This record gives sequence, C-alpha cells and structure tokens, in this order.
Amino acid sequence: MSASQDCPISAVRASGFSSRRGFLAGLAGTFPGLALTDLLGRDGVLSGGHLHHPPRAKRVVQLFMAGAASHVDLFDYKPRLEKEHGKQWDPGEGVELFQSTPGASMKSVWDFRPHGKCGKALSEIVSPLGEVADEIAFVHNVVGKTGVHSQGTLLQTTGFNRPGFPSAGSWVSHALGSENDNLPSFVVLPDHRGLASNGTKNWSSMFLPAEHQGTVIRPGGETPIDDLFPRKNAEYITPAADRAGLELLGRLNAGYAAERAGDSRLNARIRSYELAARMQLSATEALDVSKEPQHIKDLYGLAPEGPGVDDTTINAKAETEFFGRKCLVARRLLERGVRFVQIWSGNDNGFPRRNWDSHEDVKRDHGPLARGMAVGAAALIKDLKQRGMLDDTIILWTTEFGRMPCAQRGVGRDHNPFVFTNWLCGGGVRGGVTHGESDLWGYKPLDREHPTQVYDIHATILHLLGIDHERLTVRHDSLDRRLTDVHGHVIREILA
Amino acid sequence: MKFGRPTIFGLVLAILAPRIAFAIPAALDPLTVLEKNCVSCHNAKDHKGDVVLDRAPVAVETPKAIVEAISGAEPEMPKDRAPLSAAEVAALAAWVKDGAKIPAGRVLEDRHVPGLDWWSLKPIPTQQGMVPDPTLFNETEKGWVRNEIDAFILAKLKEKGLKPSPEAKPRVLARRLFFDLTGLPPSPERLAAFEKARAADPEGAYRALVEELLESPGYGEHWARHWLDVARYGETHGYDKDKPRPNAWPYRDYVIRSLNDDKPWGRFVREQIAGDTLYPGDPDGIVALGFIAAGPWDFIAHYEVGEGKLDGRIAKHMDRDDMVSAVFNAFMSTTAQCAQCHNHKFDPVTMEDYYRLHAVFGAVDRADRVYDLDPGAQQRRERLSVEIGKLEAALKALDKRVTDAGGAELAELRDRLRLLRDKGAGEVKKSPEHGFHSQIVNRPDAGKWVRIEFPEPVSIREVVVIGAHDDYAGIGGGFGFPVRYRVEVADDAAFSENVRVLADRTRSDQPNPGIVPLTFPAEGVTKARAVRFTATKLAERKNDYMLALAEMRVLDTDGKNRAAGATVTALDSIEQGARWGAKNLVDGRFPTGGDPEATRELAALRAKETTILDRLNTPEIVDERDSLNEKLAGARKELGGLPEGRMVYAAATHFKKFGNVAPTEGKSRTIHLLRRGDILAPGDEMKPGAPPMWEGSAAEFPLPEGASEGEARAALAKYLTDAKNPLAWRSIANRVWLWHFGRGIVDSPNDLGRMGMEPTHPELLDFLAAKLRDDPGQSLKSLHRLIVTSAAWRQSSAENAAASAVDAGNTLCWRANRRRLSAEELRDAVLSVSGKLGREMGGPSFQDFVIEKPEHSPHYEYELHDPDDPKAQRRSIYRMIVRSRTQPFLTTLDCADPSQMVAKRDETTTAPQALALMNNPFMTAMAGHFAARVKDAPSPTAAAFEIATGRAPRPEEAGALAEYGKRHGLANACRVILNLSEFAYVD
Repeated sequence: MSASQDCPISAVRASGFSSRRGFLAGLAGTFPGLALTDLLGRDGVLSGGHLHHPPRAKRVVQLFMAGAASHVDLFDYKPRLEKEHGKQWDPGEGVELFQSTPGASMKSVWDFRPHGKCGKALSEIVSPLGEVADEIAFVHNVVGKTGVHSQGTLLQTTGFNRPGFPSAGSWVSHALGSENDNLPSFVVLPDHRGLASNGTKNWSSMFLPAEHQGTVIRPGGETPIDDLFPRKNAEYITPAADRAGLELLGRLNAGYAAERAGDSRLNARIRSYELAARMQLSATEALDVSKEPQHIKDLYGLAPEGPGVDDTTINAKAETEFFGRKCLVARRLLERGVRFVQIWSGNDNGFPRRNWDSHEDVKRDHGPLARGMAVGAAALIKDLKQRGMLDDTIILWTTEFGRMPCAQRGVGRDHNPFVFTNWLCGGGVRGGVTHGESDLWGYKPLDREHPTQVYDIHATILHLLGIDHERLTVRHDSLDRRLTDVHGHVIREILA
Repeated sequence: MKFGRPTIFGLVLAILAPRIAFAIPAALDPLTVLEKNCVSCHNAKDHKGDVVLDRAPVAVETPKAIVEAISGAEPEMPKDRAPLSAAEVAALAAWVKDGAKIPAGRVLEDRHVPGLDWWSLKPIPTQQGMVPDPTLFNETEKGWVRNEIDAFILAKLKEKGLKPSPEAKPRVLARRLFFDLTGLPPSPERLAAFEKARAADPEGAYRALVEELLESPGYGEHWARHWLDVARYGETHGYDKDKPRPNAWPYRDYVIRSLNDDKPWGRFVREQIAGDTLYPGDPDGIVALGFIAAGPWDFIAHYEVGEGKLDGRIAKHMDRDDMVSAVFNAFMSTTAQCAQCHNHKFDPVTMEDYYRLHAVFGAVDRADRVYDLDPGAQQRRERLSVEIGKLEAALKALDKRVTDAGGAELAELRDRLRLLRDKGAGEVKKSPEHGFHSQIVNRPDAGKWVRIEFPEPVSIREVVVIGAHDDYAGIGGGFGFPVRYRVEVADDAAFSENVRVLADRTRSDQPNPGIVPLTFPAEGVTKARAVRFTATKLAERKNDYMLALAEMRVLDTDGKNRAAGATVTALDSIEQGARWGAKNLVDGRFPTGGDPEATRELAALRAKETTILDRLNTPEIVDERDSLNEKLAGARKELGGLPEGRMVYAAATHFKKFGNVAPTEGKSRTIHLLRRGDILAPGDEMKPGAPPMWEGSAAEFPLPEGASEGEARAALAKYLTDAKNPLAWRSIANRVWLWHFGRGIVDSPNDLGRMGMEPTHPELLDFLAAKLRDDPGQSLKSLHRLIVTSAAWRQSSAENAAASAVDAGNTLCWRANRRRLSAEELRDAVLSVSGKLGREMGGPSFQDFVIEKPEHSPHYEYELHDPDDPKAQRRSIYRMIVRSRTQPFLTTLDCADPSQMVAKRDETTTAPQALALMNNPFMTAMAGHFAARVKDAPSPTAAAFEIATGRAPRPEEAGALAEYGKRHGLANACRVILNLSEFAYVD
C-alpha cells in the first residue's frame, strides 16, 4: 500500500517490501546506501556498486531436465555396472525405492568414451557436449532430500522442497535487476508440451516483488508472451486505434496523476504503459530467430520444418529442434541483457513420455531427449564462447534427482535422490574438472559425509555473480530468508 | 532490544509456571547456562563474532572475554535478551576458570526460550478507560472526533504536531465504501441517489449506505477473499500432478456465509479447528474444517508413496507442518513453524510446543467428507466407507499373496508381459476413435453390456471382438477388456426371443487378449437381430472399473461385416469427443499392428498366466476371496441404501482409503519431537498441547485419559479463542484494520512477535481487540461499522506536503491511503461496468481455463478459455483456484498465491500489467460488451466514463474520448476507459 506519496518513484517498490514479504529493515541494514532508483525492475538491490565482491559472471542459464535424468547413462561413468550388468544389484544395505524393489545392475545404455584435453568420459548419447568438455565442471555427488518429483524439483529451483519460496532466478533478478529496461530480467522457456512438477511454482517470485517472477516465453508458439499483443479475434483493435488509444490514455492518466501530486505510483503507471509498448518491439525482435545465419541455426540443430516438427513418436530430430530453439532464443535474450534464463526439457511426468522419468525404458525416452539437450547445450556454450559471452555467463545443468544403477523391469530405472549429477560452465567456472564423486555404482556419494547439496550449487552461482549467499536476505514471516536457507558453501574447487 | 532487569525476568518466569524449574535449577550447570543463553548465536554454524561455544574446542579470543561480556551493569551479552543472573555469571566464570571445557563429541543445543515480556503477549485490558482523555483536545479537534478510533488517532497526530485531513468528497467516499465493504463499484444511479439523500441528512444517508452495504451479500463475498488469502485456500493439490479438489468450494461458501451472517468471531475460529467435535449436528462444524485442509498437499508422496516409506513419512510431517503453521499464523499471528528444528529464537515457542501442536493434528488427513447428514447416518457412512476401504485392501493383500506364491515364475512372466505390452504400445497404430467405453464404476462386479442391433435378420458365421488400446494408467492393449464376459445373440433387439449363448466366459477369469481379435463362431445362427456382449467382471482401470472395446464385427455367412453402421446400444456409455462413443464400436476402426510375434507371445503368456493363477487360487483362497467379496458387497449395499450427503474437502479421520492414504479412524499417529526437524532423529513422544503464551495456559492440554483426537482439536480451538489469549484478538483486530486502511496497526499481520513490526497505535489495537473479544456477539460487522464511520477512515487521500515531511509513510493516519484495486476487485469491476457480472452466489467454482490431459497431470490452459463463457462471468471469489498454474492475468495484478498464506497483498506496477490490461482476451472482450452497454446513451463515451469512475468527465476529457470514439469506435474507447488509473485506483 502507499507507504508514501511524496517519495521518489522508488518508494513504491520499497513499500512493496513492507507488505507480506516482510519489511526491508534487514535488507537495508545489510546493504547500506541501498538505492532503489527504478520502479520497473531494472535495478536490483545490489546493482549500482553494491555487490559483495567483484563478480565473475553477470548472467545465468539454468537447464532443467524434468522427470529426473539418469546420471549413470549420461555423465557419470560406472565401469562397475558393466562388470555386474544383469546380476542382482546389492549395495550391501537396505534400499527403499520410489516405485519398485531393486532389480539387476544395469550398465549405461550407451558406451562412454573420453573427450577433450581433460579426457572426461561421456556417454555416446551426449557426445556433442564432448567438444566443450574442457569448459565444463562436473559435480557427481549432488544429493536430494526425497525421491518425490515435486519436492525434488522445488528443491532445485527454489532451494526448498515445499512450495512458498522464490525461484533462484527470482533471487538473482531481485539482486541484480535487468540490464535491459525493455525485457524482463528473468525468463522461463518451458517445455511446450506441458509444465513440469509444481508448474509455475518453479519460477514464482513468492515473497519477492512480482517483477522478479519468471516471464514465460514460448519460442515458436502462436503467442510467445502472454498478452504481448491483442488476440487476432479482437478485430476492433487496429494498429491505429491502439496507438491513438495509448496516447489518449497517457493524457487522461497524466491528468489524474497531476491532480494527485505526490503519488509516485500514478506516474509509474503511466511509464508502465510506455514501457509495455517498448517491450512489444524489443521482445518481438529478441524472439525473431529468422535472421540468424544458417550455420547458427544448424549449430543449434533447428529442423527445416521448425517448431511444427513431428514428434508423434519421440525422436531425436524433434527433441533437438525443441531444445535447440530454446537455447538459441536464450542466447539472444542474454545478449540483450536478460539476467536469468531457465530452460526446461521435459513436461509433466505423463505418458507417452516426453520427460526424463524413464521408469519403463531409459533408451526410448532418454535417447532423443539427451541428444536434443546435448546438441542445444553444446551449441549454446560454443556460441556464447565465440561471442565472448561465456566468460561472464554461467550455465547450470540440473534435474530433480538421478536414477538408480539397478534396472526397473529390465530396461527402466527408478528414482535416485541419493546421488546425481549437476554440471556448470562459463562465468568463472573452471572447465574440464570433476568435483565430488559418486560411489562405484552411482548409488550414493563416494564420501557420504561430504556430499554436494543444492545450497552449495546456489551459493557458488551467487558467489560468481558477486553475491555472498548469506547476505542476500529478505525478511519474511519472522525469518531473514535466503536462497540457501541456513546452508551452503561455495564450491571453491570448481572456481577458475 | 533488551529485556527488562532480572526482577522482571523473575516475574515472567513466575507466570510461566511449568518452566520455572527448568529455568533456574538449584545448582547451575555451566553447559546448561551456555545452552540457554549463548549457543543460539555462538555455534559452529553461525559463529557470530567468530565465537563458538557449542562444542570443543571453544573458539574465542580469550576465555576471559566471555566473563567480561556477560558481567557489569550493562553487559554486552547476551545481545537480544535479559542479562544473565548472578548465579549464571558465576557458573560460567567458574567454567572459564576451569579451562572452558566441553566434553569431546558433545554439541550443545540451543535451549533458549524467549520470555513473555513483549507487547503482544501482555494481557489485553478491557475497553474501559482506554480511550484518550477528551480534555486533551480543543473544540475544533473535538468536532473532528466522531468515535473512539478518532481519539486514538488524533492523540498520536497531536504528539507529532500533525492534523487530520479533511473528509473526502461524498462521491469519493461512497465509491471507497463500496469497494471497501463489497469489492464492487457503485452504479452512477446509486451514487446519484446517495447524493440526493445526503441533501436532506448527510450523516443519516452515509450511515444508511454503510448499513446497506454491510447487509448486502457482496460484503461476505468480498471479505471472504481476505480470509481465504490467509487460509491459503486453493482448489487443486499443487505439487506434482496437481489434481483438482472438486469438493473444496463448500468451505469457501461457508466463509462467505459466516461473514454475511456476522457469526461471532470466536465461533468462526472454533469451527475451523474443531467444529465437528464442538458443534455436532451442525453442517458448518464440518465444512469449516476445510480451513485445515485448504493448503497444498503432495498427492504423489501421500497417495503413491505413503507412510509405509520414509519419503511418505517425511511428506506427512510436512503436511502437519502446513496445518500447524497455518493455524498459528492465521489465528495467532505467531510463526510457530520456526520451532521445527530448534526453539523459536525470538518468541516463546519451544520445539516441544511445536511438536505438541503436531500431536493435535496427529490423526487428521485431508480428504472428502460428508457434512450435511444427521450424525447417525453420517457415522454409519463413515464407518462403512472405512470398512469398504479395508475390505478392498484385504482383497488386494490376498492378490498379493497369490502373486507372491507365484514366485519368480509369475513375476518374470508378468515382467515379460509388461515389456511386450510396452513394446507393442509404441508401435500400435490406432485411430483417434478408440471405441466404446462404459461409464466408470467403483466395483468390478457391476454388469455392463453393449448390443448391436441389425435392421433385418442376419445369418451369422462369427462374431469378432477386438480390445481397445489406451495408454491410460499404463494399460495399453486390452484396455477395459473384461475379466469375465459372455457373447449372445437373439432374434429381437430387446433380447427376449431365442437368446443363444455363443460363448460363456463368466465362470473363471480370462486372459486379456490385448488387441488380438477374439473370434466366436456362431454356427447355425440365422435370423439374428442382435448381438450382445456382456461383462460380468470388469477390468480395472485405476482403482475403478469399466468396460471398453475397440470394435465388434459380425460376419454373415458371406463374410460380410453386418455390424458396420448398425445401431449400438449399451447399458451406459461415455461419449467423450471423438475418442469414446458407442458408435465407435462399429466404425471399422480398431488398433492394429504391434509386433505380430510379440502379439502372439503376449496371448500365449496371458494364457499361461491364467493357468498359473488357477493353480495358485487354492480353494481356501477362493473361499476367502468369496467371503471378502460378499462382505464387500454387503457393505456397499448398505452404504448404497444410506443418503449420500454432500461432500467437503476437509480435515478428516474417517474416509475410504484412497491410494496409500488410510484413515486413522481417529487414532492419532505417534508424534515424536524431531531433533533438528529430522524424521530419522526422533526424541520424546509428544502429547497434544500449545505454547503457553499467557498466564494460566499449560503447555500440554489437560485432556482426560483416552480423550478423542477431536477433543484435542477442541482444546486447541478453545485456546485460540480464550479471552486471556493475548495474540488471537490482537491478530484479527489488526487484520480488520489492515483490510480497511491498507496498512496494519502492526504492519506484519502474520507476525506480532519479536521479529514482526511494532504497533503504531498499541492502545487503539488493544481497544479494538477488546471490543471484539468482549462484545457478546463478537461481531466483525460492529468493528467495520465503527471503522468506516470514524473520521479517520473518512479522510481525504490528498497529499499534504507538510504532513508528509513528518510522516511520509502515513503511519499515523493523517490521511486515507489511496489504493489500487486488488486483482479480483479489478476483474469484478470490469465485469460489473461491462454489464456482464452474474450475481449468482455459491456453488461449484467456475473455471476460466480448459483442462487438457486430465487423466495424468491436468494441464490448466487459460489461453483456451473463452471470455464470453457466461459461466465464468461471476465474481472472482467463485473462481477455481489452481496452484500449479496460477491465473496469469490475476497473478500479474498481484493476486495472492494459494501456496502461501498472504496476509497483505502486494501492489506492484509493472509493464506486464499494462500489457495484460490492454491485451488480455478478457479485457478486450469486456471492452466490447461495455461498448454495447452504453452505445444507446446520448453520449456513450461520457456514460462509460461515469460508470467506470463514478464521476462525469470534464469537458476536455469528454471531448477527447468522444473524438477518439468517433474515429476508432466505441469498443476502443471503452478499452481506454478500462485502463484509466482512475478506474484502477480508489481515492
């Protein structure tokens, strides 16, 4: 509510804080000289020289494999499983699985071979990433809390395994703001076939201001951004009527504001319409990949038939088009100043599978999805590098948990929240390294006392962005909330 | 912030009787002193000031510094609480002298319990003598004061040298009143009538309007929205799959009804915690329990995983945490959830207190329950539902015994079957027209039939039946193909003449043929007019049963398919789009393909499976199954004979088991204190209780031996409405103030504790709290009346630079706060001015989305919804609230997120809001309707302006709008008007 009507435009946002998301006291105390000079989301609470330390990176891409991608079939090579393949798997302790009881040990569906100077062994299905293996830091000992999709997904996207907390992207947007007035600072590219577990909760701003919630963009869709333009069936809205209408609206609203001097919100509202008009142009331009040269489209694996490519039966060509196009759009958004892009591979965990929840058949689902992901992700890394942007762009690959080293009904795998893989690259991450190992089977961390948790991944990303994860706090319901709760250690071993 | 001197601390401890012994033991153990006073900050994790005192080796510059920090007249430590007693200081001094040793391996736990010396924990006095002395005010000021509220406000303003603002203009005030009390805009006619009435009696007209609005149904509809924000009310589960809750809405209607009826606040609270126990026989007592169940629920973790597994127990713990948090945040404005892993660091809530609250909810789950039957019938229904669930579980267990007895052979065979089915599933070719599908029933023995009728007699050679294929529940081929069935022919369509059985497969369970056609020879059948397929034991779909077939072919002696295009009738049928429909049975379309070899193997394996099962089903097992089935049939019959009643999604203890969610039948789960909140580190067993937050309240409820779980909830309900409870009454009084003024007297409405904000007008808050508490009717409407008739509320919202210089945030209430309409108010106002707002109250929620793929994870597709659908043109309070995909238009406008408790709405201004208000299909459609509504007015644009803003446009505004309307059409002009700041804001 209107805490003040005479303050500069910034006061409105400050007053937003004093509502349900808690007052600013803790925050202001943490960041003296806090300057909220822009109403509409450009500035974050740490922008303008208030970072905690010099940053290595400016922006983040989060690649999320919905349904739980199998680490042992993609990135985490386990020769032991080849040896024990087909024999009853026995880790020597009781194992409680989500759906099944442990079956036979099951080797990777695909062969592994070394890549790059670092010689990292990668599965054949993700071999396109081999060309950039020297850019990537793999973390093979990430642990979750439970084997439930919804909780695991929220844990990775928000740092908490229950709803009610802002997405990592919202935190970054809140801290750093956008580099572009005319585009949102946090963009989400969901799988067009459906939202993953928890839906929009994975990019909600919750108790952070609404402008930090992820803006959904559906590249190639009929309406890539909700309400960017009127629908076609609103025929009466001609371009001329729209233009003149905005002009008239601006005048009438200016009159209303003038009579109520001192209420900055009313001027901000006028500006929001101007900004909206500019966003129509910038967003349209940013999403238009048609002018990209052919070799770039080829790099990202775009299909000649475009987003309408046939995926009646899951296939690598379509998956590559879908994921590659998102990666290409992500690059264009990052170039234009978007701070955080979240890209999803995989829908809700329904059937036929267009997600990574391969209980039935790893090869059938993981094959096309992994190939599409690898082509798109490798292209994004190479393309950012050739544009000089990889140095200050962090890419995080994650998923809600991994999959078991044993088979489920012969050729599928059940959930494994006990250990799985994340990888990071760019933005101050040391490439070509592996930090933290899983055990012989990829069942649990090799060193069970010292696993990596999502808090550590988030702390590391914030650190690279110039943020001390313990000092980025907002008071909500009595607690100074952090992305990393009360946990988290920067993983120094993977810093360049 | 420091506590009082030791004397006050002592007093506090005396009040908190149960904790005295704990607080000051006879001989002080230095480690206990550390645990109580130091380690909440100086632990290995937080290591405040680089000091670690919770384990060896102690980390501090010099141990002596510890003693220095806690000694002296104004000791440096502890920072946020009372200084240590002399005895405590002495104990630590001795410990330091002794080398500051902590035994190796021991980690000291934080045992600090904050005291009751906090403003919100002080008793609320009675109203008498609270109001500021009128002699404080001069004559002008006395003239301004309309009621007690104004005296409190004015006294504070005077302290700061401020003056209240003048009263807002009548039309402004009336529009404010409409939105504030009903969330809807006034019509120009109503405003005109108000002005007319004012001419005769200004105050009388105003008060009459207040009464009119408080008595209008719109009041409850609007204020229910406030409460449902706090109640985190939603109509889907959230989390994974996000299934709908079709029976959640009765709780929403209950809130509206209770507010409109001005139900005493205490009763309203008690009903929502334990209405079933406290008010037996009153449907509201059950419906109200929707509050406990209103929050998100992890369907997969409860239904699919269940408490038999660790993940399921973790989920159940989180589920209770949601209930405990909701109750304490909503009714007490206390963040009890902070005591899950350690004692609350700031407020007097220990871990024990927190887990005692878990014990209060140890027996309840979230489920549908009947609410409107007489208690006898209700109990019988609940008992039978539970029994049926148990019998079904027993049958399942029996099947499992059989399966287990089948050992590796059966398991491998079934694995192979699944594999073959999965393999086939990818390659099967099928048309969108799947076939015939009966209605779904909840038991396998409900007979179903489908019949093909020929226009003329037919000589039949054979009947071919082909199973359907659907991936639902991973079934694939043979979807819905019955386990027992028969095929018959007759010489008439009514099946009365010359009925002959072609195949009788009703005596034993049959292997599922998948999509392999089954052929039934019909030697010698002539003159047949109908063929009937009857299922006597239905296929299981997913905890339910139905009959489905892709195709039936009836070949005559010439080999011609006479079924093609014949009439199909059935006992019942689901007609769902192209996919399922009776006529699909004879449309020549059926699934084909699959690997022919795999298909043959599949059929062979299924036959083998049947043979194995026949062997395993020993006579004893068959008897047992028959007996269970008989009991089940009996229970179902009895249940069928009872009135059905209506259902509400609420806290429940007696319901039919669904998935792995079994009813507790009122027997509480054993609740342990969980160290560090870790389910794998259980401590003592906890009994129901609540934090002792005032004198005389005990930590554990004094329940008699063998008390029911409902009595535990009833004890909590009484605790939450106890006249001595200092928080409950302040909490609601503060919320009401917030919802009227846009700012709370305490502006952290869910937290009146030490981490919350402090009240700007503590005496006023106490006055309002006491007024509500001590009012025999505990009437919220009385509070509204007092507030909206106060001079404070009636002030203008205009700026005053001088006042702003002193109090920019208007915390002292020297003017009214201009506010933007909430998301729902704005939507309702758009509907209202466009002439499209339906005012039907209550009932199932409207959906402003289309649900796709309902069978697995419903996709809530708002983009596909038609804004001209009249069913959705109702007040937003009746909207079906989805958690996994919040309504995009309203979310942009700062609508509350149903996955968290929202005590106060945000008010952001963003570019996406502008885009949504200009371009959202709802807005563009309503602009069109708005235009149609005013098109016949003498000056349509001026009429639209007045309807939207409550005032006639000034000449220059009218001119510009008319000009624009002339050039671009009335709809475009209305689109502009719906985007006016003046429409979106209330002065």
